[in-house]
Amino acid sequence: MTAMRRGFMIAFLLLFPMILPGSLVAETPPDETQEVIALLKVQNSRLSKDLRRIQREIAALRADLSEPGVKDIFAGVGYIFGLFGVAAFVAARRKG
Amino acid sequence: MHISDGVLPTYATVGGYVVSAALTAWSARKTRSQDLPKLAVVTAAFFVASLIHVPLGPTSAHLLIPGLTGALLGPPAFLSIGLGLLLQSFLFQFGGLTALGANTLMMGLPAVICGWIFQRYKGRTQKRQAIVGGLVGALGTAMAAIFLALLLGTGGEDFLGMAKLALLAHIPVIIIEGIVSAFTIGFLARVKPDLLRAAFTPASRETDG
Repeated sequence: MTAMRRGFMIAFLLLFPMILPGSLVAETPPDETQEVIALLKVQNSRLSKDLRRIQREIAALRADLSEPGVKDIFAGVGYIFGLFGVAAFVAARRKG
Repeated sequence: MHISDGVLPTYATVGGYVVSAALTAWSARKTRSQDLPKLAVVTAAFFVASLIHVPLGPTSAHLLIPGLTGALLGPPAFLSIGLGLLLQSFLFQFGGLTALGANTLMMGLPAVICGWIFQRYKGRTQKRQAIVGGLVGALGTAMAAIFLALLLGTGGEDFLGMAKLALLAHIPVIIIEGIVSAFTIGFLARVKPDLLRAAFTPASRETDG
């Protein structure tokens, strides 16, 4: 009986330090931790704002990319003149 | 005004290609070799015109100029518009490749009809040519809108509703194109009236005049 009680005591003493800090923190967090939490919140909101801005920029960029650029225009005009040039060449050869 | 891929039913797509191919062949046969440079320039203008956006409140519409193309070219306009639309769908992703036949039909047929009307009624004075040119330019886009409704009607859409919608949406473009065509044709009538002549007379009747 005494041996068992002593065992419980030892177990309790061993467990006590593990339980204590957690329960203490949960009840009254030190100032430092609260500061860290506040800092994290500020950072979080700033980051999410940045992220939203970048997402908007990506969407705008994608819209820009889908629109034809100067390169496409000149490519098309070049194709048209080239094809009609070939047609004129063939027509001229057939005549001559 | 472009029909995208997968909007039309298969038979309308295939039919559009068949009719367009036949009309392109006819149009190529009607093309005289001395007209090729003019054809190239007008095709390039048609190709680029669709990039000129007209701001319209929240959205914007772009120029189409089938009427002007037809008035300047006559029957070869169909070939010109087919090539322009092919390159637009390759380079600008306007409309799809499968709908190319239907798109060419939708824009090319009004062009040829407008060309015929212009040659028929252009008269002799510069003023009259400019006015008829403007009317034809407006008519081309209006007809293209009606053809659009007709083609969409084959896919089970309500034709009258679509026609009304397409016409309403294009009223500003129709007006602007009328003005642009009137100015262009008036200018050409003054500077180079040869460009406006004889688009529908057969090649045999006036070779190398």
